[in-house]
Amino acid sequence: MLINQLSVFIENKKGHLSKITKVLKDAQVDIRAISVFDSAEFGILRIVVDKPEVGAEALKKAGHVVKQSYVLAIDPSDKVGSLHDVFALLSDNDVNIEYVYSFVMPNNQGAPLIILKADDQEKAIALLTASDFSLIPKEAVYNVQNG
Amino acid sequence: MKIWSDKEKMSREETRKLQFKRLKKTLHHVYENVPYYHEKFKAAGVKPVDIRTLEDLRLLPLTTKEDLRKNYPFNLFAVPKNKIVRYHASSGTTGKPTVVGYTKNDLKVWREVIARIATMGGVTNEDTAQITFGFGLFTGAFGLQQGLEKVGAGVIPMSSGNTQKQIMIMQDFQSTVLIGTPSYALHLAEAAQEMGIDPKEELFLKYGLFGGEGSTEEMRAKLNEAWGIVATENYGMSELIGPGVSGECLAFKGMHINEDHFIAEIIDPNTLEVLPEGSVGELVITPITKEGLPLIRYRTKDITRLDTTPCDCGRTSVRMAKITGRTDDMLIIGGVNVFPSQIEGVLLGIKGIGSNYQIRVLKKGYLDRIEIDVEVVNQDLLVSVTLLDQLYKEIESKLHTILGIHAGIHLVEPKSLVRSEGKAKRVIDLRSENQ
Ligand SMILES: [Zn+2]
Repeated sequence: MLINQLSVFIENKKGHLSKITKVLKDAQVDIRAISVFDSAEFGILRIVVDKPEVGAEALKKAGHVVKQSYVLAIDPSDKVGSLHDVFALLSDNDVNIEYVYSFVMPNNQGAPLIILKADDQEKAIALLTASDFSLIPKEAVYNVQNG
Repeated sequence: MKIWSDKEKMSREETRKLQFKRLKKTLHHVYENVPYYHEKFKAAGVKPVDIRTLEDLRLLPLTTKEDLRKNYPFNLFAVPKNKIVRYHASSGTTGKPTVVGYTKNDLKVWREVIARIATMGGVTNEDTAQITFGFGLFTGAFGLQQGLEKVGAGVIPMSSGNTQKQIMIMQDFQSTVLIGTPSYALHLAEAAQEMGIDPKEELFLKYGLFGGEGSTEEMRAKLNEAWGIVATENYGMSELIGPGVSGECLAFKGMHINEDHFIAEIIDPNTLEVLPEGSVGELVITPITKEGLPLIRYRTKDITRLDTTPCDCGRTSVRMAKITGRTDDMLIIGGVNVFPSQIEGVLLGIKGIGSNYQIRVLKKGYLDRIEIDVEVVNQDLLVSVTLLDQLYKEIESKLHTILGIHAGIHLVEPKSLVRSEGKAKRVIDLRSENQ
């Protein structure tokens, strides 16, 4: 259920993001989801790619600081308030959401999907599964054709 | 123009005689009261009695900041602690500061030498002097204050910073003398203009006494133009007394050294040999009237040359040229001494960052600014931006604690800093470029 996400340190300066995307492109690694969390001076780029190990290795080799961590990919389904239901469910059960960002998949017809990092991932999975929210398997995220 | 003391007009022969007498007394004082010097002299195979002429001074070992560091805090003091009435400290090459102590008589000497340089710079008892050096552990402000009061000038102890208030007080109190670093003085002039005040027409300044950092003739011209003042420079360092070692007269032919209190030599910084008069080299100073902390042949690391030819002002004392460089890597940031090794010491003590760093010194307007690139190496910091932010703040506050100034921190990727072959280029001083 857990998706391997890459976090990369970024300096807030011109051309820095493209340096990172170039490394991935050259390694033939495809980006599935991307988000930047930053302050005025620096930030963290969070990406989900089709080949996390290859991507992490290539970035490290190019001199970037990379951390691999696990996140959840959720399809909140396309109905009003469903995102709120996800957050409320976790919050009511004392699971903290560290961050969240959205992404789409080409074959996905409905609302944007979300990437979510909770402080207690196992508990989040159990809660979401029990409440019939659909967690997207990692294979589906990494490999679009099978999604 | 008035000359404060007859001691500034002695013949060269009289000066040398007085210097020798006071040197002998100082040598006996340290030999008997500072075990470190006793051992140091012994190791060099000299005793105070071996010094028979002023030239024999060169037989004695040199003293460096490292000696002060090794004897932190009080082991080089030549009097019992109860004779010390004032302490000051400046930043050291490592975490520990350099501590200096003054006896009552040392403070009296300090007042006297400041009174002389103030008079040289045009100050009289009619003046009101605004001091923009910080009142605190660093020497400077207190010595100037007391020496100016000795001259009879009215002192406004503004301390540093608080720019708008500085201008307001300057206008309301009708300050006639501005005292501080030349770069802060230029910054103040700009600030006055921004406040809609014409420094030349609406303020009352006549003289500027500047020190704490080196200055150039171009800077003097700018200061004179910006404020409509006559700017002079003075020189000193806490280890020797603070400001007051030397100062410029209104003939602008170099800074007159108060030779009845300090003996100046110029050495080759590599061979450590004394160079003939007129040579450019490192200034070595021996205070000869100090009681609390009398250092023998102290290496200032400042590059200059000496000139004993007569000066138009009537003083006979030797003059030192403007400092043209340093023999070590000390940086002067807004009048505060900063060693790259201090910065390194702080950075190496912080987890999550690499051993590589780069220091850039630049001018923001007229003010010095120091920026440090620090490599982020620990991937575990990427859990949240908050962690990175905490690291950033930790670096900033630790550096402020040690250096006493704010440095701009840039977190950068590892390996993004240029690694030059051989010795890393840690410091890039861009100040002369963007002036
Ligand atoms: Zn003169």
